[in-house]
Amino acid sequence: MTFDPTRLEIFKNLFHSVAEEMGAALRRAAFSPNIKERRDYSCAVFDGAGRVLAMGDHMPVHLGSMPMSVAAAIAALKLAPGDVALLNDPYAGGTHLPDLTMVMPVYFPGSPAPMFYIANRAHHADIGGAQAGSMGLARDIFQEGLRIPPVRIIERNGLNRDLLALILGNVRTAREREGDLTAQIAACRIGERRLGEIVAKYGRREVAAYGNHLLAYSASMMRTVLRSIPNGSYRGKDFLDDDGISNVPLRIASTIRIRGERAEVDFSGSAPQCAGNVNAVAAIAYSAVFYVFRCLLDEQVPATSGLMQPIRVFAPEGTIINARPPAAVAGGNVETSQRMVDSLLRALAHAIPKRIPAASQGTMNNLTLGGADPRRGGAPFAYYETIAGGMGARPGKDGVSGIHTHMTNSLNTPVEALEEAYPVRVRCYALRSGSGGPGLYRGGDGIVREIELLTETQVGLLCDRRRFSPYGLAGGKPGATGRNALIVDGRPRLLAGKCGFYAPAGAIVRIETPGGGGWGKQKGRTQRKKERVKRK
Amino acid sequence: MRIAIDTGGTFTDCVFVRDGALEVLKVPSTPHNPAEAIRHALEKILLGAQRPATSPGSNPVFLQRRQSGRQRGEAFLDLTCGTTVGTNALLERRGGRVALVTTAGFEDVVEIGRQARLRLYDFFVEKPLPLVSRERRFGLRERVGYDGRALARPTPAELARIVNKVVRSRVQSVAVCLLFSFANPAHEQAAARALRAKGLQVSVSHEILPEFREYERTSTTVVNAYLVPVLSSYLAEIEHHAAYAAREGRAGSHPARTQVRVMQSSGGIVRASIAAREPVRTILSGPAGGVLGAQYVASRAGFDRIITFDMGGTSTDVALIEGSLRTTNESQVAELPVAVPMLDIHTVGAGGGSLARFDRAGALRVGPESAGADPGPICYGRGEQPTVTDAHLVLGRIAAEGFLGGEFRLDERRTRMWMERTRGSMRSLEAFAQGILDVANAVMEKAIRVISVERGHDPRDYALVAFGGAGGLHACELASALRMPRVLVPKFPGGLSALGILRADVVKDFSQTVRLTVGARQETRAALDHAFRRLKRRGLREMRAEGFSPGQICTDCLLDMRYVGQAYELTVPAVGDFVESFHRAHERRYGYADPARSTEIVNVRARLIGATPKPELPRRREGGADASAAVLGTRRTVFARHAWATLVYDRAKLRAGNRFAGPAILTEYSATTVLSPGWRARVDAYGNLSLTPSLA
Repeated sequence: MTFDPTRLEIFKNLFHSVAEEMGAALRRAAFSPNIKERRDYSCAVFDGAGRVLAMGDHMPVHLGSMPMSVAAAIAALKLAPGDVALLNDPYAGGTHLPDLTMVMPVYFPGSPAPMFYIANRAHHADIGGAQAGSMGLARDIFQEGLRIPPVRIIERNGLNRDLLALILGNVRTAREREGDLTAQIAACRIGERRLGEIVAKYGRREVAAYGNHLLAYSASMMRTVLRSIPNGSYRGKDFLDDDGISNVPLRIASTIRIRGERAEVDFSGSAPQCAGNVNAVAAIAYSAVFYVFRCLLDEQVPATSGLMQPIRVFAPEGTIINARPPAAVAGGNVETSQRMVDSLLRALAHAIPKRIPAASQGTMNNLTLGGADPRRGGAPFAYYETIAGGMGARPGKDGVSGIHTHMTNSLNTPVEALEEAYPVRVRCYALRSGSGGPGLYRGGDGIVREIELLTETQVGLLCDRRRFSPYGLAGGKPGATGRNALIVDGRPRLLAGKCGFYAPAGAIVRIETPGGGGWGKQKGRTQRKKERVKRK
Repeated sequence: MRIAIDTGGTFTDCVFVRDGALEVLKVPSTPHNPAEAIRHALEKILLGAQRPATSPGSNPVFLQRRQSGRQRGEAFLDLTCGTTVGTNALLERRGGRVALVTTAGFEDVVEIGRQARLRLYDFFVEKPLPLVSRERRFGLRERVGYDGRALARPTPAELARIVNKVVRSRVQSVAVCLLFSFANPAHEQAAARALRAKGLQVSVSHEILPEFREYERTSTTVVNAYLVPVLSSYLAEIEHHAAYAAREGRAGSHPARTQVRVMQSSGGIVRASIAAREPVRTILSGPAGGVLGAQYVASRAGFDRIITFDMGGTSTDVALIEGSLRTTNESQVAELPVAVPMLDIHTVGAGGGSLARFDRAGALRVGPESAGADPGPICYGRGEQPTVTDAHLVLGRIAAEGFLGGEFRLDERRTRMWMERTRGSMRSLEAFAQGILDVANAVMEKAIRVISVERGHDPRDYALVAFGGAGGLHACELASALRMPRVLVPKFPGGLSALGILRADVVKDFSQTVRLTVGARQETRAALDHAFRRLKRRGLREMRAEGFSPGQICTDCLLDMRYVGQAYELTVPAVGDFVESFHRAHERRYGYADPARSTEIVNVRARLIGATPKPELPRRREGGADASAAVLGTRRTVFARHAWATLVYDRAKLRAGNRFAGPAILTEYSATTVLSPGWRARVDAYGNLSLTPSLA
């Protein structure tokens, strides 16, 4: 296969800028803090066969799994020009219910099939269900919220108002949802317009050819990485604390087999699907594998489907890696996905120890708040956030403190935006000193966040690494586990990692997030320090 | 006499007006201490101008006289500088030792930032180091609510405790940023008073940026505090040089008054004493001058919708201008958010010195790594990796001899040898060179898309104004790729930034977060009037200090608006039906508007402008089209894989009205312009080159 290296670089930039422009439009026009301030969304461009050509630099957990959304939309609906599909069903292209995904075909006159698909996914702060924020403990998917299989939200350029009314009738903050959905539609239109311009300029044949070249190019990049890993079979395992219902730890086992320029990732041996909500679907396993291998590429490589071409993923059905309906799944996307990465990195550390960091905090510390806002005449509110923690130490570098790692990269909501929007007061937002694991290189510190509730509030916590600490590597010590507490009248009470409850006005939720694991023996660090002092 | 000086990486450019004539002087920059070059330039202009101008070949100082003028002592020296001292101190982390006072419990906000990482797929990613380390961050026990209510006042004992800690931390400068200080600054004021009473230099967040989002506001305030020690000593040095040069230049008669001003990132100038107090406003000082200069030159040439394209050795600055200049409050400098208004200038890491290489899967990359001044491009004699400049040389687009007026010879043989070795799978040396230029152009095309298409502007409606050392080399190809109908290469592209600085007005920006839901017309109006009155009162006071009376000041009032519930605002003028203006702006930017949704005003902004006298470029009558008098010779040049016999013109000899067709190469002292095949050039009445595609 031959391509012009210059053109390749140009098309890489073009497709990527389409995804980025969609993201910018979505963020700026959105209404909920979770999208506009925390940027919990992703955008991507696909070819006519549903293969990713470009993804914006958004949320890793979304990006690897979006191809399944496109595939599900194509399979379920015959999308005509001017249609946009909407879905969130984890068992039909989604990941968990709050993530609403839109898929739009891009047709050109005279062609019977779409030349591209574009998709964006945004995490909505509420999609109904038993608990405000739709991330609470549940025993099946029906308790978790509104389940939307692939349906047309836009049909022949017209908004499907019946469908919209049905959705808005089932969520707590309808006006905000409407605004966010409108922003998602606007982002689709912007992507469509930009692709139209590119095709007008370069012609269909050229654009399609370079789409294929990009895929092949990414695949060849990945093959060079796989070749750099010694052949062999590497095992890793790690545990989730529990499923929030029983007390049993849940094993995530992984085996990575490297044969030349091919890899096989097998999650066999992982725990059976559980009664709680930390079940994942196969799309998430695929995302985690994609993320880990993508990180081994040190170059700025286009994040296309081609990267996964030499990699095979086996996610056994009926396990928490690939649950069957109607298992509850809200935590699979945010917690189990992180643990899969920890398990995979542990396996790879056997093969390429100098390229793999110790465990990062390994949880997203999901917090949901909901209730009636007395400042706004009792209007309902629903808020969702995730809290950063410590990054695992790297060979040669300390871990970063107070940062989101691996499968998420959402921002915080500024205190000055949060308190204006919701009846809460942030008491403290600080680094959790000393929580990083000691070692030659130290793990990063976690965070302490205290939020005072100014009215009676339904609180949901979905956190892990409260029992099993983030591991150290090469002799480094583990990071500190996280802790959740509720302080009422000055008296703190320890909370479970995963729980839901109503808290009275004046109560303070205190969350201490885990630190990262250390790398290398602590003795070396003391040595290093001494040497540095001597040199001075 | 009025002098404007722009300090660049290689040259320090001066533009000044003497006896009604505009003159340009270039002296070599002195990166270890930029004030040296300024002293040198001031001496040349004020003391040494009696001596004949030295030729560029024998001496690095180049004095170009636009018109002859009589040397005469003047009563007043008015010096305005564009400075990169702030940017460089920030990039190299060479600012002052700073302490930070925050609300207790939020000491780490400045380190946590927005809790996200800069690169997604990188186990080894780092966070930018905070400018103030943990042991110098102090929490004051106080609290203000979202609505400005004081929930806990800082007690005198608490203030004393904090002041004591700050004093003991032996810092040069202090930043104070408390939660919700934009809604109620009383606690910040109390803290600042107590710290200033100890003789400390204090930067206070509600004075620098009274807007919501604590991390961005803290970061901006800390950057300010960090730069205060550096900028104040630098500016004191310049004031000293200016006073000295003015005194000596007058040969000892009555003392000369001097005034030193500094260009701000927003495109306006302020007194040095204010810039020394608020240095965070000067970070993009130099590039802002370029944008202003380009805007002026283009408007004289008849274009008010332009995209400026300033391509230097290591980076390229682009900006879009539609009539008036546009500022943004969402800039990042050295990976730190700086939320004061800056001209909306987008910078990418691709310039003449950018390195080209093949990555592991065989794709060609250009930049962001640069050969810099050392080793420099291959053709400078030491580098071994091909750069954009080397590619131009191989394709015959720059001349091996006439670089910097012949001062500097380029080694073409060396370039060919090394590029031959590194060309990988490329068919030929020429294909490789063309590939490098194409990739560099793609990077710059993307930069222009960011400021145009991504924000809803079609580049086809704009003229490209190209300047900087390499701007003219890429302009035609870039304009073709973006289907832009015209390129303007200004007269002296090297002195354009200094010219912009010379013509800048005194500008002061004030803002205040108000968070006002738009309700009944009269109530809203009254609340806005109140907010604007307060901003203007402060503004007029500060403008008086700059020497302007209220009658000489023009004020722009703006509103940052959004739909209730959104987080990002669009700025619209506070005149007429601003709600309607907002809906229209939203439709234009995001493709939809929702008149049924209520809107809110987040910030009010007032910009006060005091006009300065402006020198005009001389206009010449356009003469004949025949440009043959300027032809230096013919050279073999490669365009689109074909060799062409290309005429080379001496730009200094072109006359207004001259016309010619591409391909052509135009050389001048510090820049080269390439006219691609299929393009036509005309020299306009101001000496600018106006380039258009033949078939457009």
